[in-house]
Amino acid sequence: MSDARTTASAAIAFEDVTFRYSPTSEPVAQGVSLAVQPGEMVALLGPNGAGKSTLLKLASGALRPQAGRVTLDGRDMRGLSREAVARRVAMAPQDFGVQFAYTVRQIVELGRTPYLGSWGVMRAADRHAVDEAMELVGVTPLADRVFAELSGGERQWALIALTLAQQAPTLLLDEPTAHLDIRRQIETLELLRRLNRTRGLTVLATMHDINLAARYFPRLALFKRRIVADGPPASALDPAMLSALYETPVRIGILRGDERLSVRLPPLVEAVDGALVSAVAAPPVRAHVVAGGGSGELLMRALADVGIPFSAGPLNIGDSDHTLAERLAAMVLAEPPYAPVSPEGLAAAREHITEAGTLVICPAPLGPGNVTLLDAALAARQRGTRLILLEPGAAEDATRPMALVAARDFSGRGVAAFEALLAAGAEIAVSPAAVVALLAAS
Amino acid sequence: MAQAPEAAGESALDRASPTGPRRPATTPSAAGRRLSPDPKRRPRVVAAALAVLAVALAVSLILATLQGTVAIPPQTVLEIILRHLGVPLTPHWSAADDLIIMQVRLPRALGAALVGAALGVSGALLQGLLRNPLADPLLLGTSSGAGLGAVVAIALTASITVDWLGFSLVALLAFAGALLSVALVYALATRGGRTPVVTLLLAGVAVGAMLTAAQTLVIVLAVSLQQRFGALYFWFSGAVDVESWASLWVVGALLAVGLLAALWVAPTLDAFALGEEMAGSLGVAVERRKLAIVGAAALLVAASVTIGGLIGFVGLVAPHLCRMALGPRSRPLVAASALGGAIFVTLADLLARAIIAPSELPLGVLTAVIGGPFFLWLLRYAGQRYRW
Repeated sequence: MSDARTTASAAIAFEDVTFRYSPTSEPVAQGVSLAVQPGEMVALLGPNGAGKSTLLKLASGALRPQAGRVTLDGRDMRGLSREAVARRVAMAPQDFGVQFAYTVRQIVELGRTPYLGSWGVMRAADRHAVDEAMELVGVTPLADRVFAELSGGERQWALIALTLAQQAPTLLLDEPTAHLDIRRQIETLELLRRLNRTRGLTVLATMHDINLAARYFPRLALFKRRIVADGPPASALDPAMLSALYETPVRIGILRGDERLSVRLPPLVEAVDGALVSAVAAPPVRAHVVAGGGSGELLMRALADVGIPFSAGPLNIGDSDHTLAERLAAMVLAEPPYAPVSPEGLAAAREHITEAGTLVICPAPLGPGNVTLLDAALAARQRGTRLILLEPGAAEDATRPMALVAARDFSGRGVAAFEALLAAGAEIAVSPAAVVALLAAS
Repeated sequence: MAQAPEAAGESALDRASPTGPRRPATTPSAAGRRLSPDPKRRPRVVAAALAVLAVALAVSLILATLQGTVAIPPQTVLEIILRHLGVPLTPHWSAADDLIIMQVRLPRALGAALVGAALGVSGALLQGLLRNPLADPLLLGTSSGAGLGAVVAIALTASITVDWLGFSLVALLAFAGALLSVALVYALATRGGRTPVVTLLLAGVAVGAMLTAAQTLVIVLAVSLQQRFGALYFWFSGAVDVESWASLWVVGALLAVGLLAALWVAPTLDAFALGEEMAGSLGVAVERRKLAIVGAAALLVAASVTIGGLIGFVGLVAPHLCRMALGPRSRPLVAASALGGAIFVTLADLLARAIIAPSELPLGVLTAVIGGPFFLWLLRYAGQRYRW
């Protein structure tokens, strides 16, 4: 990951770094190698306790590794004085308390500490650097406010101004968006990106919000004691990797109308008997969807959006419904392309219909290959399974649906099968939203 | 009196309240203008405040030399002092007057000022280091260490008489006790080259409790102490006792060393306000500076107990009063706390001698009786604007 060449030119490089807080404890970082080149903007992602902050402290010199080394501009940190380190990397820790009524200007002035002589006297150049830093971040109007009385966002910006006054080419930020509302999170990250682009600052920040990280950082490093993935968001954000890293089933997708990858949360799980069921355990499927030819797209999206777990199939591989179901459904029964429903597939479908307790049939074209599913549906209905027929074109009267069914029936027995289903007590829903409403009511 | 709250608010650091409306950047608040709108003007504000304090200290010292059983006119007092400073004046006063001023009143007043300055500075240092507004120079075990030393010395005074540069055995053992107890606390709190301030504080409390127990044990067991409760009690409630100019010079030299060290480490205290880790990432040699801060504070307290005994409240209050007036910046704060502490103890000692003259009240009683209500009053009215 970091050969000698990249390490030598790196603003910060971890070379096989191992660190533990006490000789008996588990290592917080083990064999970590990571090189951040000048001008790069890298987000460190990982669960709580993964050691992200520790890694930043190793980079700022606050902690020393037991094995391996950390280099700044290719120079071993151990050979640098604290002040020399402070002139190369500036650290903005997570929100902290400040005792006494220091003003924002006084706090930002502390960024000049590594440049002052032993008597700590500020010169004109130091004052200029402070003014410039406050101007860049936009905290000049806050200069005479008491730091401890600022809001979280203002404090974060004052802190960033402090690190800029430090005039180090590299900024380390420990969760710069923690405790900020969404607008301030975005403003803070925009600020960092602006500094990165216009001033060429190298940025290494720990982040909790994967989506924000993917949006603002061209490079993500997933960390849990070691670097488990490293690269641009599209390659670093692998769903299986993220799920393993955070020990929770996360999914990656592109939301409608969006251009970027999004990490999606596992579905919400209701409390049972007052006890919160862990979302990590696979949630019970609440509906089985029979679709095909794109007829299930809207419904599956709707179910996924409201977090109702569902199974689907059998669907032919290559069918657009199959592709979507692979992303959204908890379980998908698949058949080879263009093949009819196999006896095994039918048996599996029966099983999943029973397990789900509710079957939703989408207005898919009916052919000899799949009309057998309607027989299975009838059998399930007779055993007490709830049956919902999605008919977006259906009006109030009971004759229209049959016309719609007839229009898409290529098997010759679809209409009869649907009539049998209705006679057995199937419900009709005129839209995916109606299906969701029926499911939510149950 | 109805205007008192506003007056207090004016004199203290007036700042935008957290709940108050945000003031636009172009019109800084009156308070902002008072405080530091222009960083170039701030040193002048600080210099003016320090000059005012210095003048106030000089006035306090002169007032202190005027008080006494023998009435000596103020002009004569000034002339006596000036003559000893080298101004050629023909004495028109008696040798007894000269003796009273130069050997009794002036050393006593200067001693009080030195003690107050030392306590004020060490209080400012420890409040900054411990990031705790309750921190007091007597917190790190110094008072109980000095107390144990004093108790042992008083128990031994019957059999041993020591006079080294005018320091009694009590003064010397109290000095040693204060320094040793801090050294012990520091050593106990240090692990793997690091001394977390919370551990320092806890070790200080624990060692303090043990040394206080040892004190009590000595008092109960030492028969010779039974007749000397008066001396014991007086020492513990604080009393300025200057035996010679030599002892003043020694305490003055220790104060100078401690004050210089304090002024030198002051910027570090500002960085420590962000936490030690942040200070470290700003390039501060955290552990070395911490040792310097505690060392300077301990030296100052130890110097003060030699001629002042245990005087409470000064080290706590003086830095707070100065912070209210000047803001939290450590270097001006250290300088102002030195002057403020000196004024406080000089005036308290003057009152201690004056109120029931020719008898004396314990100084510690005066510092608490005057300082307490004044501090509470400030807390109540200015304290709303003052952030600890």
